[in-house]
Amino acid sequence: MLTVVLQQGINGIVVGSLYVLVALGLTLIYGVLVQINFAHADIVTVGAFVAYFVTHWLSGNYFAGIAAALAVGAVFGWLMNAAIFAPLRDRGNELLPLIATIGVSIMLQNAMLVLLGPIPYAFNTPYSNEVIRLGGTFLTVQNALIIIVSTITIVLLYAFMKFTFLGKALRAVSQDRETAGLMGINPNYVIMLTFVIASALAGMGGAMLGPVLVLTPFAGTSVIVKAFAIVIIGGFGNVEGTIIAGLIVGLIESYTTQFLDPGWIDIVVFALLLLTLAVRPTGLVAERREENV
Amino acid sequence: MSALLAAERLELAYGQVPACREITLHVDEGEIVTLIGANGAGKSTTLRAIAGALFPRAGAIRFAGRDITRLPSHERSKLGIALVPEGRHVFPFLTVRENLELGGFKFRKNAAKIRSLIDRMFGMFPRLKARASQNAGTLSGGEQQMLVLGRAMMSEPRLLCLDEPSLGLAPLVVQDIFRTIRSINEGGTSVLLVEQNARYALETASRGYVLQTGSIIVSGACSMLKQDERVQQAYLGRSAAVAAQ
Repeated sequence: MLTVVLQQGINGIVVGSLYVLVALGLTLIYGVLVQINFAHADIVTVGAFVAYFVTHWLSGNYFAGIAAALAVGAVFGWLMNAAIFAPLRDRGNELLPLIATIGVSIMLQNAMLVLLGPIPYAFNTPYSNEVIRLGGTFLTVQNALIIIVSTITIVLLYAFMKFTFLGKALRAVSQDRETAGLMGINPNYVIMLTFVIASALAGMGGAMLGPVLVLTPFAGTSVIVKAFAIVIIGGFGNVEGTIIAGLIVGLIESYTTQFLDPGWIDIVVFALLLLTLAVRPTGLVAERREENV
Repeated sequence: MSALLAAERLELAYGQVPACREITLHVDEGEIVTLIGANGAGKSTTLRAIAGALFPRAGAIRFAGRDITRLPSHERSKLGIALVPEGRHVFPFLTVRENLELGGFKFRKNAAKIRSLIDRMFGMFPRLKARASQNAGTLSGGEQQMLVLGRAMMSEPRLLCLDEPSLGLAPLVVQDIFRTIRSINEGGTSVLLVEQNARYALETASRGYVLQTGSIIVSGACSMLKQDERVQQAYLGRSAAVAAQ
């Protein structure tokens, strides 16, 4: 019994850290812009396919695949901002960028459908079938890799936000854009940077997810709904909250699969979402703040 | 010598709603100049235009001989204009130290300079030092006002624009803040002060402009403004008028 609990705990952390990679991008963009990027899911899918093809072309070099997905994600983020968010920002209509991102999402999905077809790709990395045994539990090297790479990425991102000038500027822009401008911070640059980071994370998340998911042009969509739930449970724009909520949702998923039935996963996750909205609408992990205005 | 800051015939609006017209004012090097007027007269709007948070519809702004009318606020801050906005606007979820660091954003490549500037601010406001690692949102109103003053001074501005620094603060704290403003000015920084508390403003500044419904109705030395009938009636009240004489 204990082994089962431990085993599912490990599985939950694997899935949870993937969700965190995807959800962090959403929350970062929401933080600085108070906008939702619906094409985020498709950058995840693009990342998964880029990693698939690069890994295969380079005869099994999965790390090159991850790096390529990260780079392509970053470029997509830059493009999304330059082509949609930046030009629409000054028109003052908050709905326009939102609808435009839905358009980009549909375009990307269908472009991939035309190019790659609807049949799922089998993305096997050299690490998918190697197994590590830890006592009675086991995990594939692929899953260990997911935990390690996600942890390193999250720690790096956290350190960037906490200790670098640019990271602090990013937090300042998300708290008060106009005042950040008065400090000499160029908010447009910071927003561009946020898109690049968020989308690089999405691309990388796709590269890590690809071998785990059913890889089709719609792969990202299946993840993004949970990523949205995680962002809300963690508190929109709250990085720490998103990390914790992502891991919680990952664990809920694996324990629900084990002890109830996989069909219950979405019911439990969205029950938690509704509960969060009812009881703590600012998120499970509210930012500490003593009102004193 | 030309003025440090000169605004000429500014016309300001929020979208289609006009706010100010024919605003012409200047601040010379080393001066404290005040803008007084009732709520909604356009004081904050004028200040925001000078800091670049709002672009004028017409007119021109020059700073240190350079036309800055179309320059965004983050560029103006590099030139030496700092604005302390109304309502303070600390970054609530950043620590006191991080708030100060961001004030010195233009010196970000020079860690030693940032450190020495922060030490100087802690010297000026010892209470901030005690709260250095606390989130700025947890400070009292007076402490927040000190923080935003310090944050603005982190960029070593040539012109410090202050929007209602006394708003919502206890009288003793207000005295403190005005003492600090004077000492900042004695350190060589010119000050443009928007203030509802006309009495304090006219005591602190050397010259002033009086705004009414979006236009300047009278300007001149503060000693003269204190005697002005309209200023006395509208902003000082009778007893103050007597005291001023």
